[in-house]
Amino acid sequence: MTSDHEDTSAMAVDDGLDEISPVTLGLYYQRLFPHELYYKWLNYNAKAPTNDFTHREFSFTINGDVYLRYQSFNDGAEFQRELQKLSPNKIDIGAIFTAQPKYAKTLQPGVFKAVSKELVFDIDMTDYDEVRTCCRGGDICNKCWKFMAVAMHILDKALREDFGFEKIMWVYSGRRGVHCWVCDERARKLDDTGRKAVAGYLTLIRGGAEQGKKVNLSQRAASHPHVKRSMDIVEDYFEDIVLVDQEVLLTKERWTKILSALPDEELRKMLDARWSKHPNMSSVDKWSEMIDAVDKKAAKRGSKFGLSTFEHDMMLQLIYPRLDENVTTHLGHLLKSPFCIHPKTGRVCTPIGADQFDSYDPMSVPTLSQLLREVNSSSASQSNGAKDSTLMTEHVAIFEKFVATLSPSTNEHAVNGSGSGGGSLDF
Amino acid sequence: MFTQHAPRPLAASGLTAAAAAGLGSGPPRLSLYAQPPDGEASVDELEAFALDRLQVLRAVEDAHLRGRGDDDVRRRIDAALARHLPSHSGRGGGAAARQAAAERRKDAVSHFVLRLAFSRSDDLRTWFVRQETALLRHRFRAADAADRAALLAAAHVPATPLPPAERDARLGPAAAAFYGAAEPVYAVAFERVPALVARAQAVVRGGVAYVAAADVAALAEAAFRDALAAALALCARALPQLGEDERLLPVLRSLGRQSARAEYQPTGAAGALTADAVAPLAAAAFPPCMRHLQAQLAHDRHLRHAGRLQLGLFLKAAGLPLADAMVFWRRAFAGLTDDQFQKAYAYNVRHSYGQEGRRANYTAYSCHRIITAAPPGPGDHHGCPFRHHAPDRLRAALHADRLADADVRDIADLARAGHCQVACTRHLEARLAQRRQQPQQPASATLPQPQPQPDPAPVPPVTSPNQYLDLLLTDGRGARASPADAVLAGAP
Repeated sequence: MTSDHEDTSAMAVDDGLDEISPVTLGLYYQRLFPHELYYKWLNYNAKAPTNDFTHREFSFTINGDVYLRYQSFNDGAEFQRELQKLSPNKIDIGAIFTAQPKYAKTLQPGVFKAVSKELVFDIDMTDYDEVRTCCRGGDICNKCWKFMAVAMHILDKALREDFGFEKIMWVYSGRRGVHCWVCDERARKLDDTGRKAVAGYLTLIRGGAEQGKKVNLSQRAASHPHVKRSMDIVEDYFEDIVLVDQEVLLTKERWTKILSALPDEELRKMLDARWSKHPNMSSVDKWSEMIDAVDKKAAKRGSKFGLSTFEHDMMLQLIYPRLDENVTTHLGHLLKSPFCIHPKTGRVCTPIGADQFDSYDPMSVPTLSQLLREVNSSSASQSNGAKDSTLMTEHVAIFEKFVATLSPSTNEHAVNGSGSGGGSLDF
Repeated sequence: MFTQHAPRPLAASGLTAAAAAGLGSGPPRLSLYAQPPDGEASVDELEAFALDRLQVLRAVEDAHLRGRGDDDVRRRIDAALARHLPSHSGRGGGAAARQAAAERRKDAVSHFVLRLAFSRSDDLRTWFVRQETALLRHRFRAADAADRAALLAAAHVPATPLPPAERDARLGPAAAAFYGAAEPVYAVAFERVPALVARAQAVVRGGVAYVAAADVAALAEAAFRDALAAALALCARALPQLGEDERLLPVLRSLGRQSARAEYQPTGAAGALTADAVAPLAAAAFPPCMRHLQAQLAHDRHLRHAGRLQLGLFLKAAGLPLADAMVFWRRAFAGLTDDQFQKAYAYNVRHSYGQEGRRANYTAYSCHRIITAAPPGPGDHHGCPFRHHAPDRLRAALHADRLADADVRDIADLARAGHCQVACTRHLEARLAQRRQQPQQPASATLPQPQPQPDPAPVPPVTSPNQYLDLLLTDGRGARASPADAVLAGAP
């Protein structure tokens, strides 16, 4: 579970619509939440409700702190009714189980088991705190949001090209990160081991707070096509984000952190002394000075001491995506649903189009109060869903386009999987 | 499975098969153990065979924990195999073939007895599958082409790999650089080789993993692991039917018990530790991993989930009761309001004491678990300092413990070589020596010793953080030690 405690900035004064309350949320679920598409998404466009929907765990947070797990619904209409009745602050989506989760308590332990779920990823800006200098914790700005753009580019490419997944939806988490939902049937059927394999494949930064250098690729690992492709993307963004925007070498405190990853004491001392004398050099200049010094020494000492790989390793360490692996590796793990209202910021968790990685602006995502004002001012008295709202239109359109690509599970009544989804493929 | 009642011609099947094969290439040395062996065996023989195999499996685990590099691991396992479970090719006919047949039989019988013995709990099953798989991997590497081919065929691995030209045509030159120029690859669904994919040891393209011929063992391994895990689950269900067999059951039970290294049983009774006493005790006697967590918690007023579990379960096992645990964590998270704490953390604390959710009584982590579980990521402080700290940070921490330079060097070397638990044991010895020098002083006030004890009394190897704590508190001897003993033990 993540933990965010800071209060977000107070919003403008008001008419009651600025609060996130059961009343305002009720209005949102009644008039703006894209129920129809949402049901189509989780029912995978099948006509009648399938296990994909009926055996799916939803979990609602109501009144801020009451956590209702193992909710499940017979169809989209029932889901909509409950949503409007409970007005949850937060909706989490869990796995599809062997039975309807609402009956979980009446079943023998061992009978009720998770069988499938979208393959999900959670990237949270707080994991970038050691490499970003502009904000901390729950805050984000246009500068550090670029880390998310890089993460989406790299992961999206890998999921498509390497794993062959096609039905991939990125969603703004409403505050400081992004979620990824891979909805291909093969992805949904992965067991924990398979999920771990994908997560491990995509993870390059390893090591806790007590390890300065967190990327240590062998020559062979560095030649892996995924690493090479990621490196190409990293090279496009690195200078702009890490050196110019974040100025990671600007102050002594900052460069000490980077130098601590340099596996050569002599170089560390030499660079520290130089930069202490010329503290006003830009990070770009310091970086190239560091790399020159490292290269020179590497040429002298051969590839043995981790110097020759230092530049690429560090570039990856400073900008490569940082995944919360637990979210990905556990089939039963819950993840916040798209189109939730983030309980702290009031922003809608909207999907991010595949062509929007660089242009998506989380700061311009509509908030609950903006939406309700707009709906109120438009004369509409009938609840026409998101169609009332021009602020929602583009976001719902992206969702709609994505949902249209989905098709019903092939053997959804026998979801009890053969273990390896693609095992029967013939090559 | 092992019939004792219907006597068949003694070991006839094994012998004739071997005799027939002996003229040609000898019986295959590698097996996926798809079929239980036939024939008769006495209970004593079953037990003796199983004990021998257990020695080998333990050696396999040990080698991976302590081995210095690949070669050393291999040497250690080979030594255990040669001693307890030798396996000759049987080529040459006659006596050699008979010997090989007997060895194959022992291999199969011991495997199946242990299957029964290790099917009774989740932990045992996991341990058994892990070690058996590692053993198979080891044997596969050492095997000759014929034995390998036989195993791969048994595991239904595609018979022919893609030749390099075809490989390059499919993957392009970039991917080709990843493999050896002349290396053929096997194309399989990526789900079948999760371990290789997780380490990016194979190129994956369009959901297909291209497994290098050198890694093909992973395929057989995957087949073996899955089949064995399934078979063990079946076995567990069948086990109650053995209920009345009084010859076999005691054997199985004792095998299971002496299996995996015994889990350390912490001695702290609930109530032995209070919330107030945690910080002083941490300074005086916590092992490095827990002291690090405690210090980070005090410093950041926060600890991420994995760290909270590692520290919280350790404290629980050390005798911190639930009520005190709530006080401890509430104080530690000083930055939060009561409300935030109740919502976000109190549940987890109660959960770890078995008061929420499925009400499992979670046990404290062993060193093995801490060393092999998910390693710490950015911002995480859990894990084993000897494994997960960068060398310079580890050395700094050791110096902060006021260990003598020689000890620091020793311990850092052990850690670098991957002997985390040995390093921790050395650390414990060094701290015990410190305490013996100044029995009156609390450890936090100990000054650097001009003459550290050259040869402190040996302590048992550390296998869990709680054991470290208990050993340090009892002067390395368990609960019986008195201060007088300690002084005597420390005297030259």
